[in-house]
Amino acid sequence: MPRLRSDFSAVLIVELIKLRRSLALLLAAVAPALVAVFLFFNLLRMEKPGPWAMALQSSAAIWAFFMLPMSVTALTALVAHTEHGSRSWEHLRALPLPAWHWYAAKLLCVLGLVLAMSLWLAVLTPAALGLGGWLNPPAAPTGAMHYSDFLLLLTRIAVSASLLVALQLWVALRFSSFVPALALGIGGTFFAVVATSARIGVVLPWQIPVNQLASDPARADLALLVGLIGGALACGWLLHDLARREVV
Amino acid sequence: MALAIETVDLCRRFGERLVVDRIHLQVPERSVYGFLGRNGAGKTTTIKLLLGLLRPDAGRALVCGIDVVQDRRLAARKIGALLDTLGLYGHLSGRENLDLTRRLLGLPRTEIERVLEITEMTRHAARPVSHYSLGMRQRLGLARALLGSPEVLLLDEPGNGLDPEGIGELRVFLKSLPERTGATVLVSSHQLGEIEQTCTHVGILADGRLVCQGRLQELKAGFDSEILIGTPSPAAAEALLRKHGIAVETRGDGLLAHLPAGALGQQMAAMINHSLWQAGIEVHALVPRQPSLESLFRAIGSMPAHEHPLASS
Repeated sequence: MPRLRSDFSAVLIVELIKLRRSLALLLAAVAPALVAVFLFFNLLRMEKPGPWAMALQSSAAIWAFFMLPMSVTALTALVAHTEHGSRSWEHLRALPLPAWHWYAAKLLCVLGLVLAMSLWLAVLTPAALGLGGWLNPPAAPTGAMHYSDFLLLLTRIAVSASLLVALQLWVALRFSSFVPALALGIGGTFFAVVATSARIGVVLPWQIPVNQLASDPARADLALLVGLIGGALACGWLLHDLARREVV
Repeated sequence: MALAIETVDLCRRFGERLVVDRIHLQVPERSVYGFLGRNGAGKTTTIKLLLGLLRPDAGRALVCGIDVVQDRRLAARKIGALLDTLGLYGHLSGRENLDLTRRLLGLPRTEIERVLEITEMTRHAARPVSHYSLGMRQRLGLARALLGSPEVLLLDEPGNGLDPEGIGELRVFLKSLPERTGATVLVSSHQLGEIEQTCTHVGILADGRLVCQGRLQELKAGFDSEILIGTPSPAAAEALLRKHGIAVETRGDGLLAHLPAGALGQQMAAMINHSLWQAGIEVHALVPRQPSLESLFRAIGSMPAHEHPLASS
């Protein structure tokens, strides 16, 4: 068992090293920054102030509603393309390691990146709003900034995206072409946007994160549970399906 | 004879097509084994079966006596592989690429410098692989296959992209490996001339079947050889030799005598010389020639010259 653990930690470290100078890492840094940039310029053109709570809620809403699903789509496709593009699967799978290690390590990397993106947004949002308020004092946010609530909300959004991540990553790893993963992600996000208030949204992977903003706490909790349990099941399926496949 | 690689009745289908058909591969320890066959003959599929990337439909594959299906990870520890896909990460440097595999194999850092030195890639190791030429990528792939000094090296078209100098160096390197490290090398290639100069053993695949294998010199001895005869009177010499039952054809200024398999070239040359001298026919050259690997490959594979992989390259 210690052997297995050390093998897996080596695979995980290797997956992290592969992220160096990669487009996936660039995307993880840029996507939350785009939300912050939007909030900053939006605040500059405002004439009246709004409360901090609303400003932070706007950031989380933009993130959960649109940017997160699109980022997960691109991120999983890029992470998978690291292997598809260089045709590395043959080399990796020929090494004396269990096949599932590769997929589990990639899964952990992407889940970690999604969480890191959320935390990065939690850093950038107050900074962007603070800077905007300093440059345009009449529109500076007012009232108390409940930062811990904002942090908790973003964490819930990230955790509830587990099902979305597992699903998108499975398709991205399963097919060497970008097309199926992008089509699924764009299609899923589209339906999530056009069916915002649909009851089924609570189980739609691309809409589960935005349900964390629901005014009804029970709906938010249910969505979180579906995202988590569904994510765990989807992760299990991903490992089972991909590890048993041959490298043709 | 101890075998480093052995397959028994190894079969693999893709749909209806039997791509590997009851192959009995026998690669002796410390040999350099040339694995030959035209495109689609099943070479890469066989290599993938040996690596455990594909599962056989029937039969067994053993590497250093370890069943690849039953204990893939243990067998994989014995193997270093260079596949035609290379699988290098362009955004990482050469050294970083090697470091990934080094970490996975649990090897010390010194291994990286060792294999870089062997493949003469040390001075390029800090550059991103995306800036490498095809030949440099091939060298780096070879360096990666050498990490940990594996007992068995599986090399799929290792000469791809190498310049003539690089191919020459690769040849010297592969020939020296069994003696230097005790490794066994299985190398698949279309470069028959290189295989002939590099390998001690060959196996030839045709339509998924291993049609022959063995020590290269022994295989050659089983095929017709030739004697090139230089004479100012080729017509008279041809008539005389035909009377002795020797198949002859005119070749430029001289003649080419075809000897049946098993004929002793030196003795036949002496006999031809004697007969021509007795008949008063001058001879200024007698050159016994072994069949080349290419002629052997064509004869065994019954491959028309225009379909030969080398014809188009």
